[in-house]
Amino acid sequence: MMKTKYRYILAFVILALLAAVLVWKYTFRKSDISVASQKADVEIAASKLLQAFETDENAANALYLDKIVLVSGIVESISEDSLGVSVYLKESDAVGGVICSFDKSAIDVSMAKKGLPLSIKGICTGYLMDVVLNKCSLESGVKN
Amino acid sequence: MKIIISLLLLLGLLQVVQAQKLVSKNSHIWFTAGTSLEDIEGHNRLVVSILDPATGDLAFNLLVKSFDFKAALLQEHFNENYMESDKYPKSSFKGKITNAGSINFKKDGMYPAEVSGDLTIHNVTKPVTTKGTIEVKGGTVTAKAEFFVKPSDYSITIPAVVGDKIAKEVEITVDASYSPN
Repeated sequence: MMKTKYRYILAFVILALLAAVLVWKYTFRKSDISVASQKADVEIAASKLLQAFETDENAANALYLDKIVLVSGIVESISEDSLGVSVYLKESDAVGGVICSFDKSAIDVSMAKKGLPLSIKGICTGYLMDVVLNKCSLESGVKN
Repeated sequence: MKIIISLLLLLGLLQVVQAQKLVSKNSHIWFTAGTSLEDIEGHNRLVVSILDPATGDLAFNLLVKSFDFKAALLQEHFNENYMESDKYPKSSFKGKITNAGSINFKKDGMYPAEVSGDLTIHNVTKPVTTKGTIEVKGGTVTAKAEFFVKPSDYSITIPAVVGDKIAKEVEITVDASYSPN
């Protein structure tokens, strides 16, 4: 008799602990771990993505905003500061491009070379002068 | 004659250089809205800024969704509950460095700057005036400023439940570096 009672209590304590851990994990989950490990929602050429925003920004926002987008394009420039790295994908004859922001730890800068193609995955946050991808990671196994 | 022509050319060239606007696509704007109860900080490293040294015209444009937070939940609340970034995806500032005449953008040095203009957050536009600095160093111009805004001025309502955790005045810091093209 006593034994079953203890078993219930034990089960309850374990469940409660599990719930607490889950809530804790959800509340304090890091905001940038997710992107690198998640599958892209959309795969698109950088020039096509830019074109979509240039033609109809609202329609493009509806399609791409907050989505994990995998873009491929030609590296126009790489800039680095104390906080992070941004890689600018642009066709040589275009006015705008796709600007991709990385955390310092999320990119091996030697992988990005001016003039060469690169595939980058990030969260699309919208369009200013260029389309903006945030929290980017390099997609390994670059396809040409 | 030749000298006059080359002088004129040089003068023309100088004017072109003078008229060139400075553009930055990765200016950094961040805010702190924490209290002793909670640390709240959001960073946006993808701010577009245009500075015209000749007139002092200064503009900033940013995407609200580009603000990064340490915790994903904070970022969600910021976007969904406070800034409503689906409805209002951009924030901007359009104004002037009012003492641009006393800043020599060609000469290395640290210059005090006074800025005033219109700040648009959450689709509400309010005039803002602040002091900052312009640093010129080897052709790179860096503009820095700090100022405070009240969320309530921009129709951002903070529920009483979290009222103790969010500062009544949010400190905004601007750090923009313009490289010569």
